[in-house]
Parts: sequence; C-alpha cells; structure tokens
Amino acid sequence: MRRLSADVVVIGGGATGAGVVRDVAMRGYSAILVDRADLAQGTTGRYHGLLHSGGRYVVSDPRSATECAEENAIVTRIHADAVERTGGLFVVTPADDLEFSDRFLRGAIDTKVPVEEISLAEAFKREPRLNPGIQRAFAVQDGSVDGWQMVWGAANSAKNYGAQILTYHEVVKIDTADGAVKAVHCVDRKTGEDVAIEAGFVINAAGAWSGRIAAMADCPDVEVVPGRGIMIAMNHRLVNHVVNRCVYPADGDIIVPVHTVCIIGTTDVKADDPDHLSIPRDEVQKMLDDGDLLVPGFREARAVHAWAGARPLVKDARVSATDTRHMSRGMSVLDHAERDGVKGLLTITGGKLTTYRLMAEHVVDQMCEQLGDPRPCRTADEAVPKSESGANYLVTHRLGEREHDRLDDQVLCECELMTKKMFVEALDEQPRGSFDDLRRQLRLGMGPCQGGFCSMRATGVALETGHIDIDRATELLRLFLKNRWIGLWPILHGEQLRQTALDNWMFHSTLNIDHLPESTQEVAL
Amino acid sequence: MSTPHVVVIGSGLAGLTAAHRLMAGGARVTLVTKGLGGLQLSQGTIDVLGYAPGRVERPLESLASLPAEHPYRTIGAEAVATALGYLTDVVVDDLLAGEAAQNVWLPTAVGAVRPTALAQPSMLGGQCVRGARFVIVGPKQLKDFHPALIAGNLARTDLPDGGRLDARPASFDLPGRDHEVDSSGLTYARALDDPAFRARFAAAVKPLVEPGESVGLPGILGLKDRNAWRALQDLIGHPIFEIPLPPPSVPGMRLNETLTNGLKAARARFILGSKVVGFAADGDVLRSVTLGEAGRQVVIAADAFVLAAGGFESGALDMDSYGVVTDTIFGLPLVGLDAPLIHGDYWGAAQPVFAAGVAVDSSMRVLDGDRVVYANLRAAGGVLAGAQRWQELSGDGIAAASAVIAADSILGGRA
Ligand SMILES: Cc1cc2nc3c(=O)[nH]c(=O)nc-3n(C[C@H](O)[C@H](O)[C@H](O)COP(=O)(O)OP(=O)(O)OC[C@H]3O[C@@H](n4cnc5c(N)ncnc54)[C@H](O)[C@@H]3O)c2cc1C
Ligand SMILES: Cc1cc2nc3c(=O)[nH]c(=O)nc-3n(C[C@H](O)[C@H](O)[C@H](O)COP(=O)(O)OP(=O)(O)OC[C@H]3O[C@@H](n4cnc5c(N)ncnc54)[C@H](O)[C@@H]3O)c2cc1C
Repeated sequence: MRRLSADVVVIGGGATGAGVVRDVAMRGYSAILVDRADLAQGTTGRYHGLLHSGGRYVVSDPRSATECAEENAIVTRIHADAVERTGGLFVVTPADDLEFSDRFLRGAIDTKVPVEEISLAEAFKREPRLNPGIQRAFAVQDGSVDGWQMVWGAANSAKNYGAQILTYHEVVKIDTADGAVKAVHCVDRKTGEDVAIEAGFVINAAGAWSGRIAAMADCPDVEVVPGRGIMIAMNHRLVNHVVNRCVYPADGDIIVPVHTVCIIGTTDVKADDPDHLSIPRDEVQKMLDDGDLLVPGFREARAVHAWAGARPLVKDARVSATDTRHMSRGMSVLDHAERDGVKGLLTITGGKLTTYRLMAEHVVDQMCEQLGDPRPCRTADEAVPKSESGANYLVTHRLGEREHDRLDDQVLCECELMTKKMFVEALDEQPRGSFDDLRRQLRLGMGPCQGGFCSMRATGVALETGHIDIDRATELLRLFLKNRWIGLWPILHGEQLRQTALDNWMFHSTLNIDHLPESTQEVAL
Repeated sequence: MSTPHVVVIGSGLAGLTAAHRLMAGGARVTLVTKGLGGLQLSQGTIDVLGYAPGRVERPLESLASLPAEHPYRTIGAEAVATALGYLTDVVVDDLLAGEAAQNVWLPTAVGAVRPTALAQPSMLGGQCVRGARFVIVGPKQLKDFHPALIAGNLARTDLPDGGRLDARPASFDLPGRDHEVDSSGLTYARALDDPAFRARFAAAVKPLVEPGESVGLPGILGLKDRNAWRALQDLIGHPIFEIPLPPPSVPGMRLNETLTNGLKAARARFILGSKVVGFAADGDVLRSVTLGEAGRQVVIAADAFVLAAGGFESGALDMDSYGVVTDTIFGLPLVGLDAPLIHGDYWGAAQPVFAAGVAVDSSMRVLDGDRVVYANLRAAGGVLAGAQRWQELSGDGIAAASAVIAADSILGGRA
C-alpha cells in the first residue's frame, strides 16, 4: 500500500476537478487529484466542444447566459491553445418561429451576451452552406474548445503549483471519523496497488458519478440524473462558425466546428447508468436530419464517429425526472456538513464545461470559508502553461508546423498530421498510457480513416521506444481498434462504411490481426 | 453467337480475370471502370480460403463444408482450381507460384502468420515452418514496416505445424530518395528497380544478417523489374523474402499491372475513369450501360455484361443512413439483409452487412428468388452475397473463379 497525504483531495479529473485542483493549488494548498481513468475521459471527453457565448441560454436560463459570456472571455484567454475563436451564428430556419428570435434579442440585451443581427447576405458569406431558406441570422461569440487540451492545461498549471495528478486511481472507499472526512482510498488500476491518501478536505467532482462518491462517505441520496446526449463528428468542417438554431434549446440544434471535423448534437434522454450510454440509430438519424435543416446535404455527408456523454444534473424535485434539459444547468454545491453531518466534504456538480473555472472558484471559496481561511482566487488572472502567448488555436496550426518539420520527421497519422516526434514525446510522458490516452492528446486515429493507417505505425513506434514489450504492444493495438469501433458502428453508412471495409481489408486480411498470438492477460487500460 | 461483345464493369481481380478469359475465348471486350480495383491495394497473393472459421490447410477440400449460401458452394472446387491455374498462366513473369489445393503460411507486417494459396515467388522464402530462422530488416525511413513488431510476434507464435521459429529485428538507414525521412514503399520500389540503388540497399542489409538466416524485407523490392528481388538476393548472399505492407501495396500493383497490361496488349477496349450511371433493358435482356464522362454520357450496347464492380469498399454496394442497402449500378435484388446488419462487438462475430450482395445461379446470373433477373448479366467477385471475405481470406478465389464461370458461360453461348 502506498500512503500519501494532502490538504485537499479532489476526486474526478474532468473539467470541474481539474479546475478545482488548479484553484486550490494556486491558493497555496497541497493537493492531489485522482481519477479512475485518464483525465477528461468522462463527460468532459464526451461533450460537444462548444465554448458557449451564452446565446443558447438567453431565454431559457438567463443567469447561465451571463456566466457563459463572462467565462467565455476568460477561458479564451487562459486556455488560448485549447480554444478556437470560431465565432457563432444563431439562425432562424424555415421550420422555426420568428417570434422566438425577438425574445432571443431581448434576452441577449438583458443578460449582456454580445449579439449582433447580421444580414442574410452576410450570413451566407460567412457560411455558404447554410440553408438558403433561413429567415434571420445573429452573430455571437461562440468558440470551440478541445476539452482534453483544456483539462491537461489546467492540470499542468496545478502541477506547477505543486499538485499531484493521479490518473487511473479509482476511489473505492472514504474514511470518516468524528463526523469528518479523514482519508480517501484508491486502487491504482494500472498496477493494482492500494493507495491511501490522508486528506484535510475532499472535493467531490465526480460528475455523473458523484452520488456514488458521496455515498462512500456515508452521505446517501445524492441523486445525479445522467442526461444522455449523443454527438456525431462529420468528416469535414461543413461550417467554420458554430451554427445554432435560434429556438428554445432542443435536440440537434447546434453544429460545432472542432479541429478538422464538425460536430452535430445533441439529444437528452434520462439514462440509468453513466457507464453504459447507448447511441441508438434513431437518434443518429435524427441528428443527421436536424443537421440537414441547418446545412442542406448534411445527411449525405460522411459521419466519422459518434459518442455519448452524460450530463451530471442534480435532481430537482420541481421538474419531471425524465426531462433533464429543463433542470437547472447552473452549478450546485452540496455541503455535506450541513446536509449529512460530514465535515470536510463538498460535492460540486452540474454546470458546463464553459463555466468550469467559475464552478471551481465557487466551491473553493466555500471550502476556504469553512476552513476559516479566506484566500483569493487567481485562476482568471493567469494563463495555463503553453497558453502564455495568448495565441488561440487555429485549425491550420499543424499544417504550419509540418511545413517546418516535414523534412525532419515522419508523419504517422496523415489525417491529423501527427508526427512520430509528437507521439514519442507523449509516450515518454505517459509510458504506461494506452493509445486512447495518447489519442486524446494527439488526435491519433481520429480522422477519416479512424486509425486505419496510423494504429499499426503507432504500435511499431511504441514498441521501438522500449517502454512496452511485444505482448503489450499487440494488446494495445487490439484495444485501440476495439475502442474506435464503439464510436463507429452506430454511424456506419455511406462513405464511412466504405472506409471501414477498406480498414477491415487491411487489418483482418492483409495484416491478419485476428490471428496474432493472444495475450495471457487481456489489456484493458 | 459469332463474336459477342461483352461489357465488363470493374477492374479488380474479378473484372480483369473475366476480361482475359473472354478475350482468350474470342469475345470482344469493353472493360469500363470507375477506378483501379482493389488488387493494387491488396497484398499481391491469391487466397482461396484461409479460415472456415478454423485454420484451413487444404482449401479446395474445405469448400464443400461451407454454409449453403456461401458463393463457393455455387462455384465449386473445380472452378476454383481452373481459375487459379488460368491465373498462373496469364499472369506472366512467373509472378504467381503455388497451388490452389494447399495453403502456405507467410508473415504479415504485424507478425501474424497468414495462409494463402498462390504467392509471389519473392514471398515464398518466408514460409513459417518449424525451425525457420528469420531476421526481419527494414529501412528506418519506411513507417509502414516495423521489424520489432513483426519479429516479436512471429517468434512467439505457435505455428500451424506445431513448431516455433526464430525471428529477430534489425534496421538500417537508407532513404528511398535522398534526404527523405518519410519514404513510401512505392518510392523504395521504384528506386529498387535501379541496380545502383539496389547495391546500396544490399550493402546496408548484408552486415545485419547472420549465417543460416533468411531475411524478411518489406514488400517493396522492385516495381517494374520482376527480377529485382532476385538480383538483391544475390547481392545480399542470403535467402530473402518480401512481407506485404498495407496499401499502396507494391506486390498488389505488380499483379494489377500484369493483368491490365495483358488486356491492353490483347487490344481489349479499356475505359478507365468512367462510372456506369445508367442502363437500358428490354424485359429480361440488358441492352446497354450508360457511362458518365466529363460533360457527356456515353451509351455502350453489348450482347452480355459482367458486373464485377466489387462490394462496399468500391462503392458498388451502399448502405444509407436508414440502413437501406442497394446495388448502386443496376439496383439488383440483394440478399443477406436481415437486421441487425452491424453489431457492436469488434472482435466478435463477422458483421452481417459485409456478406450482403447478389445471389447467383450456377452460371453467375443474378437471381431474384428463383428467377434470373437479366439473362445476359452475370456477376462476379465482391458483389456476390454470402462470404465474409476478410475473415475467411476468400476474396481472391471467389473473384477469380466466379469470373471464369461467368466468362465461360457467356462464351458457351448461353449469353
Ligand atoms: C451531451 C453533452 C454535451 C455537452 N456539450 C457541452 C458544450 O458543448 N459546452 C459546454 O460548455 N458544456 C457541455 N456539456 C457539459 C459539460 O460537458 C459537462 O458539464 C462537464 O464536462 C462536466 O465535467 P465534470 O468534470 O463535472 O464531469 P466529468 O468530466 O464526467 O468528470 C468526472 C470524473 O470523475 C471520475 N470518476 C468517477 N468515479 C470515480 C471514482 N470512483 N474514482 C475516481 N474518479 C472517478 C470520472 O472518471 C470522470 O473523469 C455537455 C454535456 C453533455 C452530456
Ligand atoms: C470535442 C470533441 C471532438 C471530437 N472529435 C472527434 C474526431 O474528430 N474524430 C473522432 O474520431 N472522434 C472525435 N471525438 C470522439 C472521441 O474520439 C471519443 O469517441 C469520445 O471522446 C469518447 O471518448 P473515448 O474514446 O474515451 O471513449 P470510448 O470510445 O467510448 O472508449 C474508449 C475508452 O473508454 C472506455 N469506455 C467505453 N465506454 C465507456 C463508458 N461508457 N464509460 C467509461 N468508460 C468507457 C473504454 O474502456 C476505453 O478505455 C471527439 C470528441 C469530442 C468531445
């Protein structure tokens, strides 16, 4: 058993937990963050990619709208390398009521969300593929944000302030004594080792799983209703701005350009278990049809990948439990001293990725208050490592970089312009990482061929670095292909089915991967 | 019928084989194709049957035990043997060796051991048999060949003959073109057609080999010069063999070029880059196909037609977002469409969708139930329903044999 201790233990390495650990570390506390998986592998890695301008909430949730507008500006600055300032449009399609757009404009003024009505001609100039029948268009400051990059940025900033980040550490038990939290017990899932962390204070940021964590500390009945939403990445950026339907928030009403793709989303259906989220074909079809209304031809475009995430919404007795969209999207902090008589434990859930920093600020303020130790929050003032220059992400970044190093380095993934050096450096930092861990940082296998060409190369290169042996290399390749399939099979049709047939020829026929030696132990991580 | 005019659609293994056979039998052939077929993407061997689902040693003997709806059950072992014999003859330059009746086991680029019936002679030194001693060697500038991965897996594999082999990795520095860090297999293949580059390549490999070892090299040993690998072997002074890479595949290109050049030499009409966009029929007789060419449409009438346009990978079959599967060329009735067509278990059972296609009678005429759809239309290759080609390693044999049957039945006057 490994023993550690910290002033503050943060449970959950999504956006919220990463924000919290950065905040406590910047305020001078010793801190440890634990996640049962990789950073940003929960909801934060299964979301829509939108850095909200606030426009979406000006009518339905004015307070969230204002928070989004403020945090949008901050996140764009402190996470410059994760944010692309795409700008956004709200458009009234032929199927939508014009009346809502008046309320939308009024709401924007009231909530101080910057909105500017633009002419239809200007809208088509910005987005030539828009439905020619749109009736009205507004420009907003939506952006897109790479959740993995953002979370790693916050985590690396926290590390610079002395925090420890322990991924693949699953919390299994929380000790309490004398009405206060004492220690958090984890299992290191990569080694099987038990890890006990003595904790002065615990902040539960386990998102859709936070009810289970609270229960471990004898705080029952924290009901977090997972609201399942699906998203589909299309092969190209069919739009270069975020395109929203100007309606009361509904399904399939936003297309977000992120990196080389654009993503349509989303749905909202109550789920029982955040670990088992389905991607039903009828919802896929609905997304494609909805996309078609914004961008005609969307339905026939090539879908490359789909995923589902669970909104961590705290149940509110005022609305029906099956309709999660109309619950408060605002953040909620549960004070377990007051609620359950357990001191030193706060649970923070809800909110949005866009407002992650503000959520952290609130919960850490509350912790400081309980400790009688007021220390000011500084997270909005300082950029995270690699964002200091303030230069925002551009989709052409990698193209520019390859222009410089194309004569010095091999491109392992042509779809995403990932080089061998990028891959080897990421592996050196995470020698026990799976290819999915590396993918989240590098976009390995996320382009049109979905790993068809790069995954064998990645396996070979990983083996050559000496970090792993032949058995693990082969198992990682198997695992990677299996995991890519999770997001492929629900959307397979048209051109991506065709691509999959080619990939299958390569892997199952030319390489005969099905008949490689089996490992004695299945590698799952 | 004196000299029938036959339109063959598609230039993969099925289309090319059918066209050859038809020309040889005296037909006039127009081969129309949207693009080059899958041959130049595949590994350049001819598989008959590798797994059913257990390991297959003697493919011809195993065909009869396949399920009733499998295309081999209609095709039969005799046609497969004829087709492979025919291919060995028409593919000049001794590019194919082996026999339909017996599989050989060759290494793949991830170090799996793979069965095939006919292989290129440049590959046959890699037979995975008990006691073999391999050194797997590649240039560092080639990113699709990782000696440690190949050798590591080969060395821990229980071979079909029950034994094990020895394999170790080695690598060297030699770009395919001066100063390149990222040279493609094709770049190397072209370079290796040149004796001067061959000498440099051999000089880099030779010191890495120990006595008694055979040298496994990437499948890049010459493109036009069919004896490049032999010359290289002489220079290295040890037995060498090629391991095919993912596409673009040099051994696949060699096969494709040989078959295509043969057709051109025999003066088949070869229309590349044109898609069939329509057709005309009178009742159960197909009259013509329409090609979409830049700015105009061309109608080609013929006495008989061979649909050899492949499956999903070529776009001949398509499934839309509603799950509706269609033959995009003639809208033929398809079989094998029972839902669910796709399931979520990557390593589980084969995905049903990829066995969808057309059903045919014993002369490869397309069926709608028991009825022949067009008396003068035959189908061959990837469009035939009932096979899981990449799991079974059955795609080449089905393509070649169905093409031979289609051609022969047209020539036999049953068009
Ligand atoms: C479909 C959908 C689309 C969305 N789109 C947007 C959008 O476009 N823009 C936006 O701003 N917001 C969006 N959101 C909201 C946003 O994604 C979430 O609010 C945010 O990611 C939640 O982050 P989190 O850190 O609270 O939760 P999570 O990211 O889920 O983090 C919780 C973490 O806890 C860990 N954990 C669980 N159990 C344990 C344990 N026992 N031990 C250790 N760790 C554990 C999990 O592994 C996980 O990493 C969307 C949400 C959904 C569902
Ligand atoms: C903003 C954004 C942009 C994206 N762009 C692209 C793109 O361009 N191309 C692309 O291909 N994909 C894209 N994706 C999707 C991405 O590749 C993943 O499919 C998605 O983030 C789901 O995460 P995952 O791969 O970790 O999970 P999965 O694909 O679901 O599985 C991988 C890992 O998660 C584990 N796992 C599986 N299911 C669960 C579960 N329910 N709960 C917990 N763990 C589970 C597996 O064991 C495995 O370790 C994008 C995602 C986002 C958020």
